[in-house]
Amino acid sequence: MPPTAGLGLKPQHYDDAVAATVEGLWFEVHPENYMSAGGPRLAALEAVRERRPLSLHGVGLSLAADADPDPEHLAALKRLVDRFAPFVVSEHLAWSTHRGRHQPDLLPFPRTAQALDRVAANIGRMQDALGRRVLIENPSLYLPLTGHDLDEVGFLTALVERTGCGLLVDVNNVFVSASNLGYAAEAYLDALPGEAVGEIHLAGHAPDEGGSALLIDTHGAPVAEPVWALYRRLIGRIGPRPTLIERDDDIPDFATLMAERDRAAAELAALEPSHA
Amino acid sequence: MPELLEFQDAFVAALAGAPDALSPWLAPGAGEAGLSVYRNTIAKGCVDALAANFPTVQSMVGEDWFRAAAALFAREAPPTDAALLDYGEHFPAWLDRFPPAREMPYLAGIAHLDRLWTETLFAAEAPALSASALEGLAPEALAASRLALHPSVRFAAFDAGVPGLWLEARAGREDLDLTEAPEALLLVRRDGRVLSRVASPAETEFLRACRAGQTLAEAAQRAAAVDPDVPLAHLFAALIADGAFSGLSLETSS
Repeated sequence: MPPTAGLGLKPQHYDDAVAATVEGLWFEVHPENYMSAGGPRLAALEAVRERRPLSLHGVGLSLAADADPDPEHLAALKRLVDRFAPFVVSEHLAWSTHRGRHQPDLLPFPRTAQALDRVAANIGRMQDALGRRVLIENPSLYLPLTGHDLDEVGFLTALVERTGCGLLVDVNNVFVSASNLGYAAEAYLDALPGEAVGEIHLAGHAPDEGGSALLIDTHGAPVAEPVWALYRRLIGRIGPRPTLIERDDDIPDFATLMAERDRAAAELAALEPSHA
Repeated sequence: MPELLEFQDAFVAALAGAPDALSPWLAPGAGEAGLSVYRNTIAKGCVDALAANFPTVQSMVGEDWFRAAAALFAREAPPTDAALLDYGEHFPAWLDRFPPAREMPYLAGIAHLDRLWTETLFAAEAPALSASALEGLAPEALAASRLALHPSVRFAAFDAGVPGLWLEARAGREDLDLTEAPEALLLVRRDGRVLSRVASPAETEFLRACRAGQTLAEAAQRAAAVDPDVPLAHLFAALIADGAFSGLSLETSS
């Protein structure tokens, strides 16, 4: 898979996605939105997949829960992986399911040695069930938790070493978390193990409408300029990687999203030939 | 208890309104703004999913009423599955008991039909039985055959005209009227689209018999018992044209 730029696929853009002719375009979906027995959504995804590479980006496996991944969820994911042959499968460094209840969000936890054992074991279960390597994404953080044994980069690096997984770097999440918790996004990105990075996400954020100083990872706005600058810095160091424009709320028309996607494609194309 | 599980118990308690539970993991006074962000994101995820799955309910009660009710439901019955396309199975029954909905006794029925629409949309794929598959069958063989309902078929009968009301609301009409006469709704997916229409009591009785594995003769008998004047051949042809069946079994025993 050449490191080109892709777009999160939304149901209102199925026809546009099938008709798109631009070179190198690929799409990404949340597998949870396709975990049905049948129906037109799966058929639409088939039609897109016939023409374009696809990435499956999970939001619900809850790898950082202190419990094994739900076997039914894993089996449903495996069926989608088998059917759609995605070039990447990814999940988050977060939890959402707890004692049988699902919270539709990506929740934080103290990065302790015990948590590292648990998350590494769960990534191992996921990779074993799917029979392939997966990428793990850094979360957006909003709580100044204490009790960490490792910083986030150290935790992700340890997961790579222990499980052989790769990393999905969401540059907007790095920007949001760094702003919310008070650390330097540049230093975070510079410390990531570049060879492990298999995909990059770019998305928009917004100030907290609740009036706090927090930035919220809304996926409801264009990618901010400081995030583009961090993106250039990251690919300047590690080289080009498949890069996704993510938009999940306040979704504009396809052409508007494609303009952002084309900007990412231009950034990738502008890299020094030593990276090509 | 493992520390990670202890933290997650505390986090869920904090989300539910007991922020002190998280104090071992937070600097004093820190975290209320962050907890609100998580609370809001979780609530929005649940309410957005319910709005997507119950559009007719929302169109009838308005967005503010709907989102307030959906947020209460989500607190009482959070999702059990990460695939939210299936969320809200118990929302119709909850609305039936929801005191502010008492003035709209049809609302739970409307929600039930929205739910069936979602089930029809996401049901398993299967070919539809065509009329030509029945050609050349001897009348006795046909009478003894059993029809399999298409996996996407759903139907529900009501004491009043909830199906007509639901169809009008889905079509975007205003000045909706609830008629007194009993009515049923039939939903089936055909070529990727959900078809919905009012069905007669005889039709739903016929479908119930098929779903129970009875023969075509038995299904016809049950339909005729509900409505002695029903034109059975026409009823059967209409259901086949809807794509309501996926197969026909000629075995003589069930």
